[in-house]
Amino acid sequence: MKLTINKVRLVAAWTWDAGDDACGICRNAFDGCCPDCNIPGDACPLVWGNCKHPFHLHCISKWIGAQSSEQQKCPMCRQDWKFEARK
Amino acid sequence: MNMGGPSSHRRKELTRVAQRRLTRELAEWSVKTPPVPGMSVSETDRVDEWLVTVTGAAGSVYENEQYILRFVFPADYPMEAPEVVFLQPTPRHPHVYSNGHICLNVLYDGWSPALTVTSVCLSIVSMLSSATKKGVPPDNDTYIRNCQGRSPKQTRWMFHDDHV
Repeated sequence: MKLTINKVRLVAAWTWDAGDDACGICRNAFDGCCPDCNIPGDACPLVWGNCKHPFHLHCISKWIGAQSSEQQKCPMCRQDWKFEARK
Repeated sequence: MNMGGPSSHRRKELTRVAQRRLTRELAEWSVKTPPVPGMSVSETDRVDEWLVTVTGAAGSVYENEQYILRFVFPADYPMEAPEVVFLQPTPRHPHVYSNGHICLNVLYDGWSPALTVTSVCLSIVSMLSSATKKGVPPDNDTYIRNCQGRSPKQTRWMFHDDHV
């Protein structure tokens, strides 16, 4: 039998690789966005610390930006905060 | 009733982020009422102010005693800590001044935006539980004279004593 495909409609779903959890700062789901944004995805990305704790970029930036450099700790585990390099 | 003194942050409107977070936290309290046994929250006529009743833990010198904590949330909560004080009558505890101010680092320098009303209440109940006998802090009178109705967030706290 030989089939000819005339038309396909592809549907994809995406999710952040951060489990089923919520951001520890704003408490919104990781698959949602931070309270200042409206559309989840690249416009409101997640970032990880070297300690492996994820946050919305906008949430953690606000917190880290308000701390003096020696006070920049992960809100979850209080280790020194360093953005983890991910590809 | 002594309301624990005025707060310097009380009249600023909450940001959208703060409103959303508090709504979420409040929903958590009403869904699984209470998230912790012996705790209950009463809303006031203000969004940025909650009264939370806590109960002394079993086996502690405050067993079954109920105390009321007043939370006042700053405009940019949770980036900034809430102001938390005990209303009268306050528990007699070496880290609780008789004006309701609480010497507990997570309320000041040790604040993290990952902390919640629930976790703060747990820390306070745990702090109460560590006392073996009741009594006010040794510098209670001096402290109260010096703070003259200011918010505890304006005190420069020294957290020299991790044990009671």
